[in-house]
Amino acid sequence: MLPLLRSELFRLRRRWMPWAILLLVIALTVALYFLLYGTTQAQIAALQNGTASGGPQQTESQLRQQLLQLRPAAMMQFGLGIVGGVGAVVLIVLTASVFGSEFNWGTLRVILALGAGRERFLGAKYIAIALYALVLTAFGAIAAFASSEIVGRLASLDASLPENFGLRAAEAVATTTFTFLPYIALAAFIAVWAKSGSAGIAIGLIAYFAEGIVMSLLVAFNKDLAPIADFGLSRNATALNSLYDLPADTPGAGAQGAPLPDATHAAIVLLAYTVLFVGLALWRFRGRDVTSG
Amino acid sequence: MVSADVVLRTRGLVKRFGALTAVDHLDLEVKRGEVVGLLGPNGAGKSTTIGMILGLVRPTAGTAEVMGRDVWHDRENALAGSGAIVETPAFYPYLSGRDNLTALALIRGGGAHARIDPLLERVGLTARARSKYRTYSLGMKQRLGIASTLLSDPPLVILDEPANGLDPAGQREIRELVRELAKEEHGVLLASHLLYEVEQICDRVLVINKGKLIASGTIAEVTAGAGTIEIAVTDPARAAAALRGLPGITDIEETEHGLKLTAEPARGADANRALAAAGIYASAIVPHKSSLEDVFLDITDEGGAGAPPAP
Repeated sequence: MLPLLRSELFRLRRRWMPWAILLLVIALTVALYFLLYGTTQAQIAALQNGTASGGPQQTESQLRQQLLQLRPAAMMQFGLGIVGGVGAVVLIVLTASVFGSEFNWGTLRVILALGAGRERFLGAKYIAIALYALVLTAFGAIAAFASSEIVGRLASLDASLPENFGLRAAEAVATTTFTFLPYIALAAFIAVWAKSGSAGIAIGLIAYFAEGIVMSLLVAFNKDLAPIADFGLSRNATALNSLYDLPADTPGAGAQGAPLPDATHAAIVLLAYTVLFVGLALWRFRGRDVTSG
Repeated sequence: MVSADVVLRTRGLVKRFGALTAVDHLDLEVKRGEVVGLLGPNGAGKSTTIGMILGLVRPTAGTAEVMGRDVWHDRENALAGSGAIVETPAFYPYLSGRDNLTALALIRGGGAHARIDPLLERVGLTARARSKYRTYSLGMKQRLGIASTLLSDPPLVILDEPANGLDPAGQREIRELVRELAKEEHGVLLASHLLYEVEQICDRVLVINKGKLIASGTIAEVTAGAGTIEIAVTDPARAAAALRGLPGITDIEETEHGLKLTAEPARGADANRALAAAGIYASAIVPHKSSLEDVFLDITDEGGAGAPPAP
């Protein structure tokens, strides 16, 4: 497995897509911090000058409360929230591309003809993408923290950090990465099944967005249906990511909606989906003839 | 017991796709130091056979062994002894030629990495080693493919149409390279449509059609007994009557200047004697030995009529 993993990581480093995705996530995180800061400050200034446009207005107090989520202590909530939302989408695209292009380019048969076991071939890819997801999340978190430091100073926000902030931030990065795993496994499974990266991207993204919307609607229409939604992906991913939210009585903490599944339930469900999708991909790939492309 | 010289052996190899039998009880052997040509028309089962040898296609029945190790059950150890181009060379387009070999060498391990530069030199790609693979011509892709097969210096090298896309000079280089590989004690299985190329470099040929081995042996053995004799006579009808029933003559065809016999070239003397006995004197008797191409086209025709038997 190790030689395959080293080769996989070598190829991943040489691709432009992982670097582009990393830059995109960092840029988006930084941009959203400054965008929210800029627009909120502009709204506060408009309220103070009496030049605010018509329509329902937030009070200055509400706007200042909104700014609090940009402070360093709230990085795991706001910053990692951005990384978590964007990360799943870009990782679906990257994963499907990495798995599917082996079929498109015909390189699959070259690697397998070297004697690489099929399970190990897929296994090396899964591990490489999971490691990349960890790096992506870590860099996203660093970008978010750096942005929060700068914005916090500009807005004169409280710069203090809670106890064990570093450790909890590392936990949050690991947890966010964990929530990506079922989406990575789903995209890989579809790419392997369809022997196509495009199919993996298209179906993976449709599944990601559609599942999130359907589960949200289910809970919104009738909270009694929440137990069904609690066996989907999106609510469990949100549940795990919410572990690092600020306590509800802390200024800047987000309001809780419908109760989310508990962390253990969420972890088990996400792990079960990951195992299911990986198992299906391995099962499909094991006996398949690889005669061309 | 597998001979130490045998690098590849298949026994009763069968592949069925539903009702279609793509490969039908195929037995073949490749020994160290020999180049074996695998010939057959499109759809004959060559790629499926190579796929089964490399563990890419699961056999319906039978076994394939590389260096005495079963490819399907001891995959990693078996295929450590082989290097192959399957169908067309396939590499990562975003990597340079050198990086592509590095990616494969990382999987191969051992001394594969140290062999990259010498191999690039050997196939004439040193100058373009850092160019992206997607910018390579077909000939350069083929050269890189050949370099990749030799990364671990394997006892068995499988080349599927290695000269495809190469200019005549490139084709000659490949022929020389394949012969060098044989001299270096590699066993080479070469699938090719270029029968002239096969005739020049292969020690033995295996001809398959519709999944079955229909002829095998050295080039001389496969082409033995195949040929034509042109006879110039003034009365072809009488001459044909005199020759009809003569042993070794399978067909007699009247032409503008006389007769064309389908027969081993050595039968010319018998024909001459028979004509003289009938009072017919030929002004010319010209024997033509069939090339591998002639034999190939003949035996891969519907039903494989006239095929030299596979031993």
